[in-house]
Amino acid sequence: MSLKPNAKTVLEVKDLKTYFKTDAGIVKAVDGVSFTVHEGETLGIVGESGSGKSVTNLSVMRLISSPPGKIVGGEVLFEGQDILKLSETEMRSIRGDKISMIFQDPMTSLNPFLRISTQMVETIRLHNKDVSKKEALARSIEMLKLVGIPSPEKRIQSYPHQFSGGMRQRVMIAQALSCNAQVLVADEPTTALDVTIQAQILELIDKLSSQMGTAVILVTHDLGVVAGMCDVVCVMYAGRIVEKAITDDLYARPSHPYTEGLIKSVPRMDTANKNNRLFSIEGQPPNVIDLPPCCPFHPRCHKSMEVCRHAYPPIKDLGNGHEVACWLYAEEATRAKALQDAEQQEKV
Amino acid sequence: MFSKKKIEAPLNEFDQVIVGNSLGKDAWKRLKKNKMAVIGMVVVIVYSLLAAFAMFLPIYPYDQIILDHQHLRPTFNKTAGDLMMETKLEDLYFKAWRSGSLVVTEEQSTQIKTWIADNKTNTVWNFCYAEGERQRAAGTFTFSAADQKTIDRLQSRIETEFLISVEKLFWTDPVTGKTKNLEKMDYEDILPVYASITGLEPKDVEAQTLTEIRSQVLNTIKETSPDLTDEEYASSLEMELTAMGEKGIHTIGKSNLIGKIQTTVTRTSERTLKQEIKDGSAEFPINKTVNLSDNLTAEIQASKKHDRHYYLGTDYSGRDMLSRIIYGGQVSIAIGLVGTLTSVLIGIVLGALAGYMGGKVDFFLMRLVDIMYGLPYMLLVIICMAIFGRNIMNLFIALALVSWLTVARMVRGQVMSLKNSEYVEAARSMGASTGRIIFRHMVPNSLSVIIVYSTLRVPAFIMQESFLSFLGLGVQAPYASWGSLVGDAVNGMTLYPWKLIFPALAMTIFLFAMNFFGDGLRDAFDPQSKNQL
Amino acid sequence: MTKYIVNRLLGIIPTLLIIITLSFFIVRVAPGGPFATERNLPEVVKRNIEAKYHMDEPMIQQYGRYMFDILRGDLGPSFKYKDYDVNYYIANSLPKSIVLGSWAMLIALVFGISAGIIAAVKQNTWIDYASMGIAVIGISVPLFVIAPVLQLIFAMKLQWLPTSGWYTTGEGYKTIILPAVSLSFAYFANIARLTRSSMLDTLRSDYIRTAKAKGMKNSTIIFKHAMKGAMLPVISYLGPAFAGIITGSIVVEQIFRVPGLGKFFVQSSFNRDYTLIVGVVIVYSLILVFMNFLVDIVYAQLDPRITYK
Ligand SMILES: Nc1ncnc2c1ncn2[C@@H]1O[C@H](COP(=O)(O)OP(=O)(O)OP(=O)(O)O)[C@@H](O)[C@H]1O
Ligand SMILES: [Mg+2]
Repeated sequence: MSLKPNAKTVLEVKDLKTYFKTDAGIVKAVDGVSFTVHEGETLGIVGESGSGKSVTNLSVMRLISSPPGKIVGGEVLFEGQDILKLSETEMRSIRGDKISMIFQDPMTSLNPFLRISTQMVETIRLHNKDVSKKEALARSIEMLKLVGIPSPEKRIQSYPHQFSGGMRQRVMIAQALSCNAQVLVADEPTTALDVTIQAQILELIDKLSSQMGTAVILVTHDLGVVAGMCDVVCVMYAGRIVEKAITDDLYARPSHPYTEGLIKSVPRMDTANKNNRLFSIEGQPPNVIDLPPCCPFHPRCHKSMEVCRHAYPPIKDLGNGHEVACWLYAEEATRAKALQDAEQQEKV
Repeated sequence: MFSKKKIEAPLNEFDQVIVGNSLGKDAWKRLKKNKMAVIGMVVVIVYSLLAAFAMFLPIYPYDQIILDHQHLRPTFNKTAGDLMMETKLEDLYFKAWRSGSLVVTEEQSTQIKTWIADNKTNTVWNFCYAEGERQRAAGTFTFSAADQKTIDRLQSRIETEFLISVEKLFWTDPVTGKTKNLEKMDYEDILPVYASITGLEPKDVEAQTLTEIRSQVLNTIKETSPDLTDEEYASSLEMELTAMGEKGIHTIGKSNLIGKIQTTVTRTSERTLKQEIKDGSAEFPINKTVNLSDNLTAEIQASKKHDRHYYLGTDYSGRDMLSRIIYGGQVSIAIGLVGTLTSVLIGIVLGALAGYMGGKVDFFLMRLVDIMYGLPYMLLVIICMAIFGRNIMNLFIALALVSWLTVARMVRGQVMSLKNSEYVEAARSMGASTGRIIFRHMVPNSLSVIIVYSTLRVPAFIMQESFLSFLGLGVQAPYASWGSLVGDAVNGMTLYPWKLIFPALAMTIFLFAMNFFGDGLRDAFDPQSKNQL
Repeated sequence: MTKYIVNRLLGIIPTLLIIITLSFFIVRVAPGGPFATERNLPEVVKRNIEAKYHMDEPMIQQYGRYMFDILRGDLGPSFKYKDYDVNYYIANSLPKSIVLGSWAMLIALVFGISAGIIAAVKQNTWIDYASMGIAVIGISVPLFVIAPVLQLIFAMKLQWLPTSGWYTTGEGYKTIILPAVSLSFAYFANIARLTRSSMLDTLRSDYIRTAKAKGMKNSTIIFKHAMKGAMLPVISYLGPAFAGIITGSIVVEQIFRVPGLGKFFVQSSFNRDYTLIVGVVIVYSLILVFMNFLVDIVYAQLDPRITYK
């Protein structure tokens, strides 16, 4: 499925399940997600708000706050080792050093009580004890320059509240990039930034990925970014991956009705009829508490069938690693059987 | 054409029933899950019921002083008489050991002396009593004649003394022949009644009663503000009497007269009862009707004085601790609840005013709040008590006046944020007046926050009241509050630990319950703030 | 920063003015006070007071004089004891109260913060439950119950510590243990609960997640990243805590017979020694106002987001 068939597999997530226990019931925020990231590859995750993208990434880092959250199943293999089974100490040597993360919310992700310099220097020195404070500071300043902070030598001594949201986001990015990790998890890294900076940052990440062989997991809402940056795309809906394909494949042949809708709803310059109203997917994403067995997308799907209301679709490989979870691509026999099983279930 | 549709539960797109959730219902559900909070709530309810219905509980009056029953220890099976006898015997045995007539071994003697040196009085007495009883039973010790006489006299007192309480008084009108309860009669109607049993003219009785009332009022004035001149007293008295009005005077007069009639009844029946006891025909407790005159009958109840059971012991004037704790709780809880309510109301009004009016009003009110926050306000309360006199009412007012600050701030904040919301705009565009908007729309909106805060305020209020009462600056005898009970107990707590332990326990349990309940309520209404103070 | 301090100091002035004005009028309106027309005072005291208050002058002048005296630190003569000034009593008793209160505050802070942090870090373990249990006791049991009970147990029954009194020589330090511990208990409890909850809140915050994502050790996270943020609510609680300790010391001094300012305060309010009452309140208020000022400065130092304007 990879574009670079002989690249080393760095991170492999298998059937990951993360649930939250709340007063209203169990939230299945991530429910059986699998994907693989190779060296130098960028994997995009797209999906509506609340589909479980951030929870997936936090689970990979084992940063789900517990309670209420818990990783209840699956494996996260980093270089062949299941990091869900590591001790907390071992996990610490992976975080920040092997896998680093850019968080979604720049306003609150920096410590308001510490200077930027303190926070950046500590990031660099944490896994590299032999770097002196001075060197680390110089490197931090360089990183800040790289992400486009003006006069970083001065600004590095500021506190986060003295920075704008976009600048904070860039500090977060600089901080995450400064550790040269093998995997970079970027959760909507550029949402808070204006277009020019956005392009610069993405270019930076891209360069990093291709030069250093860093594997990148990029979460974004922007399908344009996905098209430009990602080698492979996963589309998430209600805690599951509903379609996964090589980027070009996905755009050429969106197979899941949801993906189709997503791509159609992007405004395009080249559409012939400018008067056409923008396409949008009707309805709201479901609340992932106590969902009955069904395709969670069926209430909004214009191709929904009877079976969609009663069973979750199996994953079907359409060739070239293009996987889709939709009843449209299942054989008639499978559908019939699923319906029967569901009826059986309901009777019991 | 229009067939009636069956009302169905609303379903979502996954055919699941949508459960509507209201804040109150949700909060109640969460509260029920919190075991400690539920226990707390139950305890608070039990306490409140006990306090509210203290009048109807089968307990002794909380202010009845029986000097014979001073400092009796708590007991479950012994009567006051038994304990009095025990105390007497302890004393006598101890004296006997001193004088050498109660012989103990050499070691025991040294032991007693060390105890005395260590101030362990109770141990000494207990030992002497046990040893003495043992020897007396074994026949190796007898009391001296004088001691024996003391014991016998006490024994006969314990067996014969009784207490009379007048339950009800009835007056049969000689003209109409109707019978009335004296409590339900007017002052003016009672005047001739009293006149008839004393043989005085109603006019003289009235004059006499008035003089008594005047001196009574004067005494209270002198108590609350000593150090005034006679002239000042005279003028204050006149002012006070005018303030009381005819109605107030008559109320006092009525209770005075009834009190006098009761005393007369008690005196008369005492004589006959004593005779009956001598004859041996008395069976306690006695309920009977006494005819004072042809028209005046009284229902009295007589019980043996020393047959009482004090489950929680007695205090220094022989008052029952159990009923003092219950009535003390009544005072404490009442001050806690009413005080909180008052201060919260003041806070709501001032906070809403500041928030709604904004501008100068807001500025001055909030400066005032800031300044008062910076003051040691308990000290101000103490000063107020020192100046304006130490009684429940002053205490209550002083506390309420300094406790509205936080509520005012809270309500102000809420009102400010609601002020510009759309539905208030809507109300205003429909012509609702300012006051109406505040009280119909804004205050209910912040009610849950206020309720939660108030529940947490009640224990604080009770603690402050008790704190002052403990210092002797709050509730004064014969009234009690938990604080004053603990305060009275601190001196001599080694000798009479029950006086300290039971009120302290009663109070602590209530405060615990109230805190748990308040915490639970807060968590229930605002699950976000879990773990917060 | 300097500007901030000056600003805060200016903010104190109205509070002080109100206190002084209040006390000026309290003494004047109090029934049986120095200004009541007829009173039974020893001749000497009467003369002292008349000389002191210049009763023949107009009110405004008296007020100005009063203000000036207080600014100079002169609180006037006692109203009940002929030979002494209020200053004399306060100078004698205040140090004891300050020592007692400081120890109580120190105990409350040190134990409260440590217990709170441990409870937060070991959330839902027995340590957490035990320390929060003790804290609930501290909050629910009033001082005037805790103090006699501790006295009963540790002084009278076990005889480990002296029952009461105040000595400074030899083993005198022992006399301070029981009063200071009883006085600190409620504040220990509040600080522990506050620390725990704010520490938990902080540990749940995004920036702590960032620190974790860097691969930091838990202890570093707590002390380097979480501590400052978690301490802010505790710092703001210190103002009310000081006020509470001042009030509480009145009871404690009563129970343990410490000859401090609190004991005088109760005595004088029974005696209606108005000048002494007012003097004590002014001193207490000054201490409190000063403490609140310190607390604000510390808070501003800790939180870089506070702008010094
Ligand atoms: N701490 C939590 N407690 C309960 N539910 C949670 C918690 N964190 C996340 N969830 C739930 O998990 C689901 C997925 O959330 P997630 O943050 O992964 O969404 P997302 O795809 O990142 O959305 P966005 O694009 O807005 O960032 C949501 O339904 C959310 O309500
Ligand atoms: Mg997200």
